[in-house]
Amino acid sequence: MGDDPDRRKILTCAVGGGLGLVIAVPAARLVLGPTGEQTVTTPTDPLDVGAADRLKVGGPWQKVDVVAPLVKDGWTTARDVVLGAAFVRRTADNQAQALSAVCPHLGCAVGWDGKNFLCPCHDSKFTGDGDAIAGTGPAKRGLDPLPVKIEDGRLRLTWIRYQLDTASRDKA
Amino acid sequence: MTKQIWRVLGWSLVMLLVVEALTGAALAAFYAPSSTDAWASVAYVQDQMPWGWLVRGLHFHAASAIVIISGVHLLQIAVAGTYRERAAAWWIGLVLVLLVLGFAISGYVLRWDQAGYWANRVEVGIAAGTPVVGGLIRSLAIGGNEYGNLTLTRFYTLHVIALPALITAGVVVHIVLAKRARDWSDGLRAAFAMAAVFAVLVGYVVSQHGADLAAPADPSAAFDARPLWYFRWLFELRHLAGSAEKLAAMAAPAVVGGFLVALPLVDKPERQAKRMPWIAGVVGLFALIFVLTIASFVQDSGDADLAKRQAQAEKDASRTRALAVKHGVPATGPLDIKQGIVMYRARSLYEKRCTGCHAATSKDRKGPIIGAGHGNRAWLTAFLKEPSGDAFWGHTKLAKTDDAMKPVELGEGDLADLTELLYAQSGASDVDAARRDRGKVIFDKACTDCHAIEEGVAGASAPGLGGLGSRDWYTSFIGNPKSPVHMGSDHSQMPRFDKDLSIVDRDALADYLVWLRTATQRDVDLLEPL
Repeated sequence: MGDDPDRRKILTCAVGGGLGLVIAVPAARLVLGPTGEQTVTTPTDPLDVGAADRLKVGGPWQKVDVVAPLVKDGWTTARDVVLGAAFVRRTADNQAQALSAVCPHLGCAVGWDGKNFLCPCHDSKFTGDGDAIAGTGPAKRGLDPLPVKIEDGRLRLTWIRYQLDTASRDKA
Repeated sequence: MTKQIWRVLGWSLVMLLVVEALTGAALAAFYAPSSTDAWASVAYVQDQMPWGWLVRGLHFHAASAIVIISGVHLLQIAVAGTYRERAAAWWIGLVLVLLVLGFAISGYVLRWDQAGYWANRVEVGIAAGTPVVGGLIRSLAIGGNEYGNLTLTRFYTLHVIALPALITAGVVVHIVLAKRARDWSDGLRAAFAMAAVFAVLVGYVVSQHGADLAAPADPSAAFDARPLWYFRWLFELRHLAGSAEKLAAMAAPAVVGGFLVALPLVDKPERQAKRMPWIAGVVGLFALIFVLTIASFVQDSGDADLAKRQAQAEKDASRTRALAVKHGVPATGPLDIKQGIVMYRARSLYEKRCTGCHAATSKDRKGPIIGAGHGNRAWLTAFLKEPSGDAFWGHTKLAKTDDAMKPVELGEGDLADLTELLYAQSGASDVDAARRDRGKVIFDKACTDCHAIEEGVAGASAPGLGGLGSRDWYTSFIGNPKSPVHMGSDHSQMPRFDKDLSIVDRDALADYLVWLRTATQRDVDLLEPL
């Protein structure tokens, strides 16, 4: 009975398959580990992006790099990490506006030509207030405003990435 | 006989895959998949390793050759209609094409330069637009919530472990399924074809000196992202589709793929003549893809603004790569590469914040010229002789008031003694002590009505001069020139920088100013450009 070839085959498959699973399941669990996790932790509180004096009230948009003092990226921690860029302008002595330079279409960095914002990847164009100009490109919404305030003469900006290519503005 | 000539295509593809495997293994011996090291390790291979550019170039351009020859191979099989007998080989072949494109996408991002980084962001952005599971796909692909170390380790694993395993298995099955009688002349022809393809490849790689490498990935810097040339037809299709671009990006590959997969099922006729509609369909499809690809490049080449931005991007790339060769890439990543330039931090701050009022070339200079030799003996003597001269306080509001300092009228010897006293304040090591002490006597007689010389002490109506020109003095002055120890609030137009610049930055500026004292114009000119 112990020599039944079918039985042997089934047993071999069971043992082999079992062994395979024992190895594959933990490996798959590991590889899926980062999915949906905050693997790159970036600050959610306002970041210092420079002195407010650099902006004149009523002056044009100026591009600022948004730099996080501390970012944990997987197993490393780094200081002064560039998260992205924003355009800021001063509307009053103690008031400013900011737009994220991340194109709401697919996330390329937009540029400012003095009149309009332009995305170099798929040609979406935005007005001087950041609204999408219909018929120019695929962006479904205007540039994303970011919270910014002036405190002790410094511009403090909150960096947010929104979901791409949607008409509504939902945090990514 | 004439049909046999086409068989060399398959063997050329096998040869190219072997080239990819060998060059890939060599590159993997250098590559470091982390966001701080990836670009640096690729630049190291490309610019510093013997024949690194050649190996990397072969690896990159062989992929293009694979895409081209796969296309011709596919077209030839479709026209000949041999998929009717060997449908399974055809389908595996289509899977192989998908795997090749997977290699291209996963490989392009590994260089972590502007081109690969932004192209990947767009590609992942498109995939993230998939209904329902889009977010999951994105998170799975980039390894979490944001681009970083895990993005690279994942695409690296895909590129060097998962896809090679799949394509090896696929190629073996494909060859077995497509097997046919071979004779010796077949093998010889294949060998000649492989040699020819390889020769063209090497020639092209040498003419291009390897493969491009743009400036390091920078999330804050705009870049004209373009996909690799074999995805250009989709890029152009999105352009043409306008608001229906999402449909185009998702539907076009699905339609093309579906059509090719269905061919063996729908194209049944035995007689070649009856197959004309299908042949026309396949040829038409390839022609369309070809035309769209060309159209995309033509559109870009007509854009003058784009050309300007691309020229600038190329300049940035070659500059950064030159710096990487010269100074190495800092462990904090290639975006910090300029920190390797001597006094980079101070000089770039100086350029941005100080030159408007202090550069000899500035149109609206408001203060003294600061340049080579600033604060050395000759400068001090010249200042004492004519404090409101053009190079000194001449451009300030103070010079036009009664509070302006009067020229010091002394003989050459006494002037040199007084100069030595002031010069000694900087802590310079070459002070003539006897002169300095004589200078102190003159100072006490002629200057103390307004100035003081003790460290940290304000003058009665003018700056305290203790420590003048030393690093600490500069740091203090830059921080608050309006302090009573320095100019006093009534006498200075210079803004205070202690709120705006960190103490580290002010110290860096002070170091630069101290360096300027002993520098000649030639030294300044020899500094590496920022």
